[in-house]
Amino acid sequence: MKNRAAETVFRKKRERRRLLAKLPFERKIEIVVELQKTAAAIRKNPRRIVWPL
Amino acid sequence: MEKALQAIEEITRRGIIKAYAIGGGIAATYYIEPVLTYDLDIFFIPAKEGLDVLAPIYEYAKELGFSAQAEAILIEGFPVQFIPAYNDLVREAVENAATLKYRDVEARVVTPEYLAVIALQTGRAKDRERLIRLLDEAAIDRAVLDRILGSFGLTDKLKKLEQQFHEE
Repeated sequence: MKNRAAETVFRKKRERRRLLAKLPFERKIEIVVELQKTAAAIRKNPRRIVWPL
Repeated sequence: MEKALQAIEEITRRGIIKAYAIGGGIAATYYIEPVLTYDLDIFFIPAKEGLDVLAPIYEYAKELGFSAQAEAILIEGFPVQFIPAYNDLVREAVENAATLKYRDVEARVVTPEYLAVIALQTGRAKDRERLIRLLDEAAIDRAVLDRILGSFGLTDKLKKLEQQFHEE
């Protein structure tokens, strides 16, 4: 990749993913549920259940 | 989620299945950045081989009042999908599972090395993405990974994928 700005953005994204990977599992599951809620707010699908935590 | 994990442990303790390990999106989430998923995928080794290895699980779930929803069993509101170990790689992954802890409950989970090789073998777009993430974010033991890849003839497949990824 030649573009320095894009390189920086991608490096930061990679760093963020690595940080998220280190979160406690319980917190990660909470994030999964947040993702499910966000998706459900956009498009309802009765087969896709938002987990009750 | 604790109750679902406890129910799965109980299914194993009762001998309804021989062994299990969490796979799929939740196993990936254990090792990498959280991913959107809706099912708790459970790879299992049946207690008895046969045509319908899922029947004893569904019967037990029915006894406990859990309902079936599409391909999953709803355990305390969690869709749990039981997937019989469908080849030698998945069987070995279940046999060599690690232990995770969620709050006060322990459960078995596919190790990141096996998860990576299963993703490589399965090969859908989302599996390739998961594999790249696991290699980048998870604490993968490269020697263990190489041994598994070698055992299942997948060493070159990973090399090609890594090469392709670095070229992009």
